[in-house]
Amino acid sequence: MSAIQRILGIVWAALGVGIIPLAIMRAMAEIAKKPSEENWIFWSIVLVVLMPIIAFSLITFGVFALKGEYDSVD
Amino acid sequence: MAQNYSASHSEEVSSTRKVIAASSVGTLIEWYDFYIFGSLAKIISEQFFPKDNPTAALLATLATFAAGFVVRPFGALFFGRLGDLIGRKYTFLVTLVIMGGSTFVIGLVPGYAQIGFFAPAIVFVLRLLQGLALGGEYGGAATYVAEHSPDNQRGYWTSFIQTTATFGLFISLGVILIVRQSLGLEVFNDWGWRVPFLLSIFLVGISVFIRMKMSESPMFSKLKKEGKTSANPLAESFKQKDNLKMVLLALLGATAGQGVVWYTGQFYALSFLQNACNIEFVQSNIIISIALVIGTPFFVVFGALSDKIGRKWIMMLGMLIAVISYGPIYNAMYDTANLKNKVEIKEKTIVEHKAEVKGTDSLKTTITKKVFEDGTTYKETKKEKFPVDAAAKAAMPKDKLKPDTKKEVVLPQDQFIRMIGFVFIQVLFVTMVYGPIAAFLVELFPTRIRYTSMSLPYHIGNGVFGGLVPLIATRLVEASKEPGYSNPLSNLINGVTGHASAAAGSADPLAGLMYPILIAGVCFVIGTVYMKNKPAAMDGE
Repeated sequence: MSAIQRILGIVWAALGVGIIPLAIMRAMAEIAKKPSEENWIFWSIVLVVLMPIIAFSLITFGVFALKGEYDSVD
Repeated sequence: MAQNYSASHSEEVSSTRKVIAASSVGTLIEWYDFYIFGSLAKIISEQFFPKDNPTAALLATLATFAAGFVVRPFGALFFGRLGDLIGRKYTFLVTLVIMGGSTFVIGLVPGYAQIGFFAPAIVFVLRLLQGLALGGEYGGAATYVAEHSPDNQRGYWTSFIQTTATFGLFISLGVILIVRQSLGLEVFNDWGWRVPFLLSIFLVGISVFIRMKMSESPMFSKLKKEGKTSANPLAESFKQKDNLKMVLLALLGATAGQGVVWYTGQFYALSFLQNACNIEFVQSNIIISIALVIGTPFFVVFGALSDKIGRKWIMMLGMLIAVISYGPIYNAMYDTANLKNKVEIKEKTIVEHKAEVKGTDSLKTTITKKVFEDGTTYKETKKEKFPVDAAAKAAMPKDKLKPDTKKEVVLPQDQFIRMIGFVFIQVLFVTMVYGPIAAFLVELFPTRIRYTSMSLPYHIGNGVFGGLVPLIATRLVEASKEPGYSNPLSNLINGVTGHASAAAGSADPLAGLMYPILIAGVCFVIGTVYMKNKPAAMDGE
């Protein structure tokens, strides 16, 4: 189980890193397509609140998992 | 000897019951206070946040969202720290007073028509206070009860705290329905909506009185006596690797998935009934209320079961079944109310037209009433407002001339019961993921920083991941209208059931489910791979 936990750590960290440019590019494209107030509010929430939480927690969790910090949990 | 044991055991149980009752009533009231604002959002918006004032409209948006996902985690940090420094009892007494006071004052604030911009500004601040108080309440109540519970019954006892969020929602819906029905729609929209807010002060008064009589948690008292409380709970919780890794595990392996399952099963289900299925206001609220009442005891069932077989697999199973079955359940809900699947009795169709002139505007109302063979009734109210002057009408932008259409479907009894069943199944998933989670969270962290450490992942999971379900789901449904849109979930369901995909330009009703399915799916994998199943003994340090 420890080996799977560590390997998956790379996946979580990569997801965390990948989500940052993905969210920014999507937000820019959507706002450029329709620059309404609603669109601005929605993408601001995604970029300022949701994306940083997901990215930070996935990257940190992934690094911890990769280092074997969760080996002893199970 | 046996008699002495029996007497002391029954005293212990009776004392634990008092702790549960006192904690649960307060938490229940906090949830009630928090939800009535959400349930009355439309009226509040009309009273305090007029759409023609852009600043007020922006405040409305912020009040709706900020209280949920910015202020709640902040409240968790602020009050969590306080609870680990000075104690659980006084901290969650303070949160109760803040919540009750804010709710009561919202009921007293004059509308925008009376005091202008001050009205939305005051309501905005009060809503933020509500979010702050809620962020501090839950962690305190769960920690307090858990620290009074024996190791082998912690899931059972804390599950009563878990019922409060659902009961709070149920009571808020119930009180609103009763007040609305008693006063009539016009009076309710005028001033009657204030009654549920004002009622809160009596409930809070009773709860504060009960809580004042409670003693501090035995584990925290012992720690304080020995001088072992944390000097800096925030730093200890989030700067120390051993603790931070458990906070992340709690968030990504449990509370994020639990949050989306909770919001989908209880809030999105109501929104789906009203907006996608067009079920009439009262009937849709009754469907949700009945499903909540039938489902609520299962919080205790799964909480108690987690003491026997462990917390992990019950929560993971709840998430997995939710991920697999949301598509078919929502598809069946949509099909049940879909008028295209019903045969209309044409001779019973009534169309009424009404035209009136108000000032320079002409108001045209068309009401169409239909009856279907299965007993379903349908009412469509179309309101068109345009200037009497033909030149002014011609100069108006097309979107301003678009009629305001309200659709109301009332289901016959058998389909009404079927709908309750569909929502009940979702509430059951909620009870599986939410019933054992308080015990799971408190067992992850040591007493000295428990309140702080468990509150943050809980409120990020519920406030941010869960709280965003309505916003993101609505957005996904809107996006499904765009050309070239393709939803793998809908494609899969349409493939299995043989249904046709949503026509180009029309919304895909299942599109909104992609967000909760994705979050719960990732959370299921992380929880399954990294979490342990055995309930842990809590340290008293």
